[in-house]
This record gives sequence, structure tokens and C-alpha cells, in this order.
Amino acid sequence: MDRLLNVLIRLKDLDRRVLFIFVALAVAIPVLKPMGLPIRSSRESVDFHRELTSLKAGDTILFSFDYDPQTRAELDPMTRVIWTTCFEKGVKIIALTLYPGGVGVADEISKELAEIHGKTYGEDYLFLGYNPDWSGTMLRLGESFRKTYPTDQLGRETGSFPIMENVDSYADTPLLVSVSSSAMAEYWAIWAGGKFGQKVITGNTAIQAVLVYPYYYSGQISGFLGGLKGAAELEMLTGQIGAATRGMDSQTTGHVLMVVFILLGNVAFLAERLRKRRAA
Amino acid sequence: METVGIWVAAFFTLAIFSFLFRENPIYRFAEHLLVGVSAGYYFVQYLYSSVYKKFWVPVFQDGQWLLIGGGILGGLMLMRLHRRTEWLARFAIAFYVAAWSGYLIPSIIQGQILTQIQSTIIPPHDASGMTWAAHLSAWLVLIGVVSILVYFYFSHEHEGPLRIVSKIGILYLMIGFGASFGYTIMGRITLLIGRFQFLFYDWLGLTPL
Repeated sequence: MDRLLNVLIRLKDLDRRVLFIFVALAVAIPVLKPMGLPIRSSRESVDFHRELTSLKAGDTILFSFDYDPQTRAELDPMTRVIWTTCFEKGVKIIALTLYPGGVGVADEISKELAEIHGKTYGEDYLFLGYNPDWSGTMLRLGESFRKTYPTDQLGRETGSFPIMENVDSYADTPLLVSVSSSAMAEYWAIWAGGKFGQKVITGNTAIQAVLVYPYYYSGQISGFLGGLKGAAELEMLTGQIGAATRGMDSQTTGHVLMVVFILLGNVAFLAERLRKRRAA
Repeated sequence: METVGIWVAAFFTLAIFSFLFRENPIYRFAEHLLVGVSAGYYFVQYLYSSVYKKFWVPVFQDGQWLLIGGGILGGLMLMRLHRRTEWLARFAIAFYVAAWSGYLIPSIIQGQILTQIQSTIIPPHDASGMTWAAHLSAWLVLIGVVSILVYFYFSHEHEGPLRIVSKIGILYLMIGFGASFGYTIMGRITLLIGRFQFLFYDWLGLTPL
């Protein structure tokens, strides 16, 4: 019994680098050899998918890149599926970003996917760029896209693009998609949704997802994706298997390892307390 | 060129990972470079998007002279950099706070308070077509909101029924923190997965077995 207690107590002093190795193995092995664990779609992802696929050819949506490079691993898979779905359906996209760091992300992804699907800049999609003052931008877009963004990211007149012919406010866009690493998704729901009646769906980082649930249940957000799991669910629903689905096995093994660590930590704590009680 | 980019990214990924073993000069080099590049990138973006696109072009190229007022207010913000002129920045800050409050307060009250309260309580006439699971969920939400509000009620000592309700509130808070923690781990592991996918697939050219 004493020997067992000793072993358990020693766990508390385990070098953190040993834990890092375990985490690395738990995440790396499934990346190299996926196990194909099942992914079940949640209600919020199904709603997100429904809103996206209910768009018709010729519709124009607003897409906001509300993230920068540090959260690309989580949010890029969502963006890719959303843009691919829109391009395949013939839905046009007017994109913008409320993050200075989002300019490079938006530029790279939009160009890459447009090239794959043979889409033309200014006709099938447009990147308005970054606008300072995110709250003012959200409100002014309700009045006029052209006045809010007189030029696109590269300084060309916004009104000169064919995609803008019949589009100038939220009333002309059946859907707004915000892929966000912060509270931007909530503010889109409050201002674009609450004030102008714009339908809003969002993709969020896992950390942010907890805070989005109240807006989803109140109907202010019509559907949302939470973290890599949400992205994987959308990939499954659209049949576009990609980085998110491939990463979900690692996600599961990583979480199982965390649970094991937490349990062992607690057992070690209890073992130490038991020994102190015995000594007394 | 793309290959060079991948090798540079792989080098810096490993440099940052090296911190997990111990702090070292390669890690510090990568960290400082990231901070420097980010600061430079953000500075140029702000300068181009704010000063050039929102001020210089409309005022000096399109002749919208009224915008000079906004430019002056923006300039006053910079007066904070010197002790003798920092009082001038207060005018700009006062204008900004007033404008921000004007359009923020009504929207926040409507969107974050009233609508949320409304969705917390399901009126009986709306509840007739609900399933038993939806009923249960609505009651759990209502009990949770009320008990958490009671937990944060500090004007009376938590004794008797108040103590029981506030304990239920703590339980809800713990479940909330647990969910939040789980999501946080998911976010962090995702970042690691992203880096491993890059290192294995893009850099080393491996394919999943």
C-alpha cells in the first residue's frame, strides 16, 4: 500500500516535459494514422448548414473575416467549406475584415478558392478590405456598402464592380457569415441582426463558442460552428472532407489524455492527503 | 519560393516549440521577430486604412473638407504623448466616448439584455407545442439564470433558502466553467494539430497512413 502511495505521490512531481511528450504523441500519431472516429452533427451546425445551402444561385452574401493568422488552424477549414459551397452554388460573396491581420488571410484564401472554381474578382466575389472602427462599420453597412467602403482593399472604386450593381445594404444580402475569433460574431448579431434584421450565422473559435450559445438560443444567430468540431461537422454535412475532419481524431485523443492527467492529478493529491492523515 | 516559405515556417515552428524544453536563444530570436514583424504589419495596415484611405484620399483627393474636423480630433489624440499638451487629448476622448455611448448603449440594452431576458423565459402561450425535452431545457435555463443571479446578490447574507439557491447557482457556474475549459483545451489542441499537419504534410511531405 505504501509503495502504491509513493508512486501516486511521485506523479505530482513529474517533469512537465514528460507531459509535453505525451501530449505531442497523443496529437501527432492520429495526424499520421487517422482512426476515423465518428463525428455527430450538432443542432447548431445543422442549422448553419441549412442556412448556407438554402441560398440560391445569384444571391449575394456578406462574409466577414473576423480573425487573423493566429487562429487560422481553427477557422480556415470553416472558411474554405463556406466559400467552396457558395462558389459551387453560384452564390456571390462580398468579403471584408474587421481585423488588420485579416487582410492577408482573406486575400490568400479568396484568391486560392476563386482560382480553383474559376471565379472572377468583382463579378463573383469582392474583397472590401479592412475598415477601422468595427462598430461604426457594422452600423454604416446597414445604410450603404458603397459609402462605408468607397474603395476595395486596393483602392479601386467599389461601385464600379458588377457584383455591386444591385447590392448596397443588408436588405440586399440574404445572409451574413462571420467567421470570428472574438466577440465580433455577437456584435454582428446585435447590430446587423438586431438593428437591420440581417440574418447572421457564425463560425467561432472553440473558446468563443461558449459565449455564442445564448445568441443562438435567443434566435439572434441562426446557426453557428464551434471550433474544429464545428468545422468538421460542416465538412461532413457538405461532403467536403478536409483538415478539420482529419484533425478530429487527434482532438479526441488529446482530450482523453487531458482527462487522464486530471484524474491522475486528483488521485496523487488524495494519496498525499491520505499519507499525511496516516502520519498524524 | 513556396518551398523557401515552408522551410522558414518549419524552422520558426520548431524554434517556438523548443521553448517547451527550456528557454533558449533560438526561441527568443523567433519570438522577437514575430513581435517585430507583427508591429510593422499592423502599423502599416492602420496607417493605410485609417490615415490614407479614410482621411487623405477623401479630404485631399475628393475634396470632402468637412472630414478635416475628424482629422483634427484624431491628431489631438496624439497630444497625449507630451506632458504639456496632453490636456488637449481630452477633447478628442470626450467626443469619442460620447459618440460611442450614444450608439452602443441602446443596442447593447436591446441585444444583450432585453432579448436575452426574453429568451430566458418561455411564455405559457408559446410553450404549448414544445416537446418535454424543450420544456426541461427551458426550466433548467430559468433555474440556472435565477440561481446565478441570487449567488451574485451580496446585499443579504446567504442563509436559509437563499443559501440553497446560491449553492445551485455555484453548481451552474461550475458546469459553465467546465464547458468553457473543455472548449479552451479544444482550441489549444487545434493549434497544435494545425502545426503538426503543417510539419508532417507540407514540410516533410508525409501522407496519412
